[in-house]
Amino acid sequence: MIQADLNVILPEIMLAVYAMAALLVAVYTGKDKLAPMLVWLTAAGMVIIAAIVGLSGDGTNVAFGGMFVDDAFSRFAKVTILLSAAAVLVMSQDYMTRRGLLRFEYPILVALASVGMMMMVSAGDLMALYMGLELQSLALYVVASLRRDSAKSTEAGLKYFVLGALSSGLLLYGASLVYGYSGTTLFSGIIQAAQHGEVSLGMLFGLIFVISGLAFKVSAVPFHMWTPDVYEGSPTPVTAFFATAPKMAAMGLFARVAHDAFGGIVADWSQVIALLSLLSMFLGAVAAIGQTNIKRLMAYSSIAHMGYALMGLAAGTAFGVQALLVYMVIYVTMNVGTFAFILMMEKDGQPVTDIRSLGMYSKREPGRALAMLVLLFSLAGVPPMLGFFGKLYVLRAAYDAGLAWLAIAGVVASVIGAFYYLRIVYYMYFGDDESEALDQGSGTPVLWGFLMASAAVMVLGIINMFGVEGAAAAAAAVLVN
Amino acid sequence: MLIVIALLPFIGALVPGVMIRAGRNACATFTAIPTLLALVMLMTLAPQVMDGGVVRAELEWLPQLGLSASFFLDGLGLLFASMILGVGLLITLYARFYLSGDDPMGQFYTYLLLFQGAMLGIVLSDNILLLLIFWELTSLSSFLLIGYWKHLPEGRQGARMALAVTGSGGLAMIAGMLILGNIVGSYNLTDILAAGDLIKSSEWYLPALILILLGAFTKSAQFPFHFWLPHAMAAPTPVSAYLHSATMVKAGVFLMARMWPALAGTDAWFYIVATTGLVTMVLGAVIALFKDDLKALLAFSTVSHLGLLTMLLGFGTEAAAVAAVFHIINHLTFKAALFMTAGIVDHETHTRDIKRLGGLAKLMPITALIGTVAALSMAGIPLFNGFLSKEMMLEETTHTVWWGNPWIVPALATFGALFSVAYSLRFIFHVFGGPVRDDYPHHPHDPPAGMWLAPALLCVLVVAIGVMPFLATPIVNMAASAVTGVPQDGYLKIWHGVNPALFMSIAAVAGGIVLLMIHRPLDRVWAVMPRPEAKNIFDRLMGWAVSATRWLTDATHNGAISRYLAIFIVATVALGYVAWSGGGISAPTRELLPVPPVVAIGWFLLVVATGSVVIMHRSRFRALVIIGIIGLMISSGFIYLSAPDLALTQISVETVTIMLLLLALHFLPKQTPKESGALLRLRDGVIAAIAGLGTASLAYVFMLRDIDTISGFHLANSKTGGGGTNVVNVILVDFRGYDTYGEIIVLGIAGLAIFAMMDALLNGPAARRLRNLDLSSDRSRDRHPLMMVVATRVMMPIAVVVGVYIFLRGHNQPGGGFVAGLVISIALLMQYMASGFVWTQRRQQIEYHTMIGWGVVIAGLTGAGAWLAGKPFLTSGFDYFHIPPIEEFELATAALFDLGVFLAVLGSVMLMLYSLSRMARTAGETVNLEPMDFDPADRVQNEQEAK
Repeated sequence: MIQADLNVILPEIMLAVYAMAALLVAVYTGKDKLAPMLVWLTAAGMVIIAAIVGLSGDGTNVAFGGMFVDDAFSRFAKVTILLSAAAVLVMSQDYMTRRGLLRFEYPILVALASVGMMMMVSAGDLMALYMGLELQSLALYVVASLRRDSAKSTEAGLKYFVLGALSSGLLLYGASLVYGYSGTTLFSGIIQAAQHGEVSLGMLFGLIFVISGLAFKVSAVPFHMWTPDVYEGSPTPVTAFFATAPKMAAMGLFARVAHDAFGGIVADWSQVIALLSLLSMFLGAVAAIGQTNIKRLMAYSSIAHMGYALMGLAAGTAFGVQALLVYMVIYVTMNVGTFAFILMMEKDGQPVTDIRSLGMYSKREPGRALAMLVLLFSLAGVPPMLGFFGKLYVLRAAYDAGLAWLAIAGVVASVIGAFYYLRIVYYMYFGDDESEALDQGSGTPVLWGFLMASAAVMVLGIINMFGVEGAAAAAAAVLVN
Repeated sequence: MLIVIALLPFIGALVPGVMIRAGRNACATFTAIPTLLALVMLMTLAPQVMDGGVVRAELEWLPQLGLSASFFLDGLGLLFASMILGVGLLITLYARFYLSGDDPMGQFYTYLLLFQGAMLGIVLSDNILLLLIFWELTSLSSFLLIGYWKHLPEGRQGARMALAVTGSGGLAMIAGMLILGNIVGSYNLTDILAAGDLIKSSEWYLPALILILLGAFTKSAQFPFHFWLPHAMAAPTPVSAYLHSATMVKAGVFLMARMWPALAGTDAWFYIVATTGLVTMVLGAVIALFKDDLKALLAFSTVSHLGLLTMLLGFGTEAAAVAAVFHIINHLTFKAALFMTAGIVDHETHTRDIKRLGGLAKLMPITALIGTVAALSMAGIPLFNGFLSKEMMLEETTHTVWWGNPWIVPALATFGALFSVAYSLRFIFHVFGGPVRDDYPHHPHDPPAGMWLAPALLCVLVVAIGVMPFLATPIVNMAASAVTGVPQDGYLKIWHGVNPALFMSIAAVAGGIVLLMIHRPLDRVWAVMPRPEAKNIFDRLMGWAVSATRWLTDATHNGAISRYLAIFIVATVALGYVAWSGGGISAPTRELLPVPPVVAIGWFLLVVATGSVVIMHRSRFRALVIIGIIGLMISSGFIYLSAPDLALTQISVETVTIMLLLLALHFLPKQTPKESGALLRLRDGVIAAIAGLGTASLAYVFMLRDIDTISGFHLANSKTGGGGTNVVNVILVDFRGYDTYGEIIVLGIAGLAIFAMMDALLNGPAARRLRNLDLSSDRSRDRHPLMMVVATRVMMPIAVVVGVYIFLRGHNQPGGGFVAGLVISIALLMQYMASGFVWTQRRQQIEYHTMIGWGVVIAGLTGAGAWLAGKPFLTSGFDYFHIPPIEEFELATAALFDLGVFLAVLGSVMLMLYSLSRMARTAGETVNLEPMDFDPADRVQNEQEAK
């Protein structure tokens, strides 16, 4: 019995045990001297676990009486989470070493956060959900304020913590209401209690508060306030991490709760999520226009992107979930590349985040500028880059589900949003030459490789999306039935 | 074959980039080869299409999205495809000679082929999503082409604006296409074209129309989006000729023609499209006359002609569509030739300023001839092709009634034509006419044949069609049939007899000549006339947008967490309201309990205390005391609601935390932080009140209704399953033993973490600040008050006994390990406060770290003990014992577990206290080793010694 349960949850256990063992070993031996090695080791471990998860059997396995679910959906999300976390870790090594930020706890915290995320997307129970969520959040609170000597970083971490605690409280309140009115914390039980036409007020409030709590985690407007500050305040590699794996995890969890637990009352949450989506898209698009700090800009960009992903969820259909997954995978890939570029932005060896410093970058680094151009167009959703297909997916999902107004609003927002992505392109290709130029040939081959690979995916992916489409469809089919 | 044609330019695009080193000729050749190949293949398909057939090819792509790589070739497609490839070929030739050796040719040709492929894709797509992709690809590649000369600042500006305008238009089109596809149920163009009636009767017709037209108008530079085109003219001339006259800007016109059967024919179509076209035509023509830059003149003339085409398509009649198709061909020929001529002039004289030119006819006769022929065609002079289609256009306008007004359209059209004649003649006379000057920036002469060959070829076409229009008839009919969806077999001729169009034409030519004569004074008037410059408006709008968004972000993201919290809470309340209004509220099933005066007073105290905390939050100790009151009131609430166990726990937790807080706050800065203004506080107050009221009303509603709770389960099983009647304790140690086990570990970690952090703090930079902290001001004069010292020492044994008692009775009566741990902690805390830390520490020799450890270990071992009995971890066993002198009492393994809890709690609390005291000592707190210490034994000893 317990043996079977443990088998199902083996990948999580492996990663968790690795993290704790690494912590112990590092404390008693070289400490920070081991950090670069640990970074690579952790990344390698994550890739291996991703392979195990991705290649392991199919079908749905349930452990611990339904509290933990391992199905096509969770596997899809886990592979994305692990691979992106590994990518970001590897990208951060050089940057953090040179700035004296690389502590041995960093890879371990990322690993623990990843365990939490894996738990989140596999949650089959409100308690498992909360546990995963908190494990992830606690690790994230710490990495957000990793740069302890910077007031901005610590302030950002503290704000994130205070707001995060509030949202967790809200989520718990919601969860307890759901529990109180359905008599169970298992999603499979809740879905039976929450069916059409018989939604009690308590259940509805529970649902709403759970949604608010989760909306905070995906940084959907109006629960997004932490995002720009944390993105700006954290060291750039940490920002890159924030922008990728946790977003995927939170979205996965959101989809799971919405469909697994509340799949019987789609109409009740669809409108709320549609509203969150609408607000996120517009605020993200509009607010980014005035930004000159590329990290803050990416924060608003991620808010807008979460709005689009939520559009897929708001559709409330299997196709919608598929669209969400496809969108998230594309989003994560784009962000890995974009942040690889940002990590390479240096002047006299110091990191630069002002987009105006990119003036005429194309002249000095034509290859990188072109790759970044591809990524930015993809982020903006301009055909024929892959980003467009992601948008097309969610727009179609929303449209097919009768949310035509949302789809049109989404297009309008993307038109507005295109402005600021194109502004970066503008600076790179036509900006002022004289102004402080960035260093040439900065960054490591690793960063360069990720930038180029990500850009190449944006172009080549349009052929068949590397088969992600099918996997996402299978994953979505498990969740929505 | 079609797919190959569509892909050829893309494949070809790879070559020139690689061939950079092979020289200009090789680059140009390798650009020409795929173009030529595609053109030849296209021609082999042409007969089939001319016979009214349609060629199709399809490839599955992303079927789920409705996206397939399907292409089709009909009359319209054939016309445009051959235009794109044909002109592409000419431009390749022209660019070979136009661009200087310093310009990176390979890059240029790569972009050119990319663009060509994208354009070809647009006209051949049979899937509107595919069309969209190619559509945006043209924006992209044109962006690269326009920005090709990076060193020119106008080039940058132009590229940016072109991309911003056309790119956004294309994105808007996505929505339009989605709607269209949804109405029809297919994204195949053929299906959509066949479903025109369905589309027009749909309620989503108008939004779809507007969104698609937005894409078309931005691309084809229609008013009010016309401003980007002239600014894009900073591009190299081959680019201007290819993109901005022949192909890309026609994409919008192509789309309108393509969608003509599906969308045209309604009032909305007529008023939007025809009006926009008309306005653009007139406006473009007027502005063009006053431009001194050759290319700007041509650019605005292009805008004007695009307007003309749009207007014709907007009329929605078949004859107008035929005229539009014909004019597309004619405009292509003369305008491309003109652009190339302008390029030659620029190339030779190094200026494009008309005011600095003139008399070139004698110096470069071939160029002058080409330019004149093309410009005369543009003016609409008979025997040139421009005349034919303009006649047809004017003829159409006479049938057009606009808002019940039959003459306004023809009048405006004639007005536009008049200006058109004027600027065309100006192009001829002010550039080529007049005396030879001697102040050209560079002495001009005719360029090599390679450069004038391309425009010359086009001019031959201009004249050929102009004189023998029947040559073009089959092509026009073929394309027009495809546009209208109905076979057309009209006949094009030069002489239509004396009709209104002829008079209008004559008026236009005459007026144009007059205009040119008075151009100089007019120009002066124009120069002083205030006119809205679209680019400035665009820039200012952008500026406003940017500052508006800055304001928005500054307003919401000002960095103050209070604002974030306010937004967070308001949003939650709003969402709560949504749930409230969405959920069905059943009638209350319970009566409201009567409110006795005691409860009312308690409630009132609670409210007052809460309010007081808010008001007095600046004086910490007072606020802390009031928080204590709140805790007590809540505890009394528990007692009143018959939950003594909860009350006991609450009181002890409350006491310990308040005491620790009291000690900790001592070390924080004494000055008050900056307060927000009264208005802000009012805002926060209102928000807080609303949120509070919301929560309260929620609780009120819930409690008036019966719900299934799980309390019943616990009440029923607590005694039988867990062997205790204190349900809270049984839950803690049995039902939720796992949680409790986790919690004591967390509590222990918290204690250790505080200790560890304090350690880091005391060794870090903060220690210095701590040492400089002046605590003397708030030190009590009597640091160890007699009464307190005595009382605590007397109380100590009693408190311990109470703790033990509470611990032992815990399983059945209110109490338990948790509370017991807290009670004894309080007793010890009091000792420390009264007698000082060191004094107490000396008399108590337990390591707190180990105490926590032992607590966790004991609890863990108890849990593991269950395995011996073959049960899962933490299953508790219990039995009843009867030891004679005492009454029957019960021993549960849970009690042992409780012991673990007790130790962990006690250890953690004491460790926290220890950490705080270390801090105090670093801050210079003196330690009194002998507070109120009077040992009778010592005294006896002393007396004996004295003796």
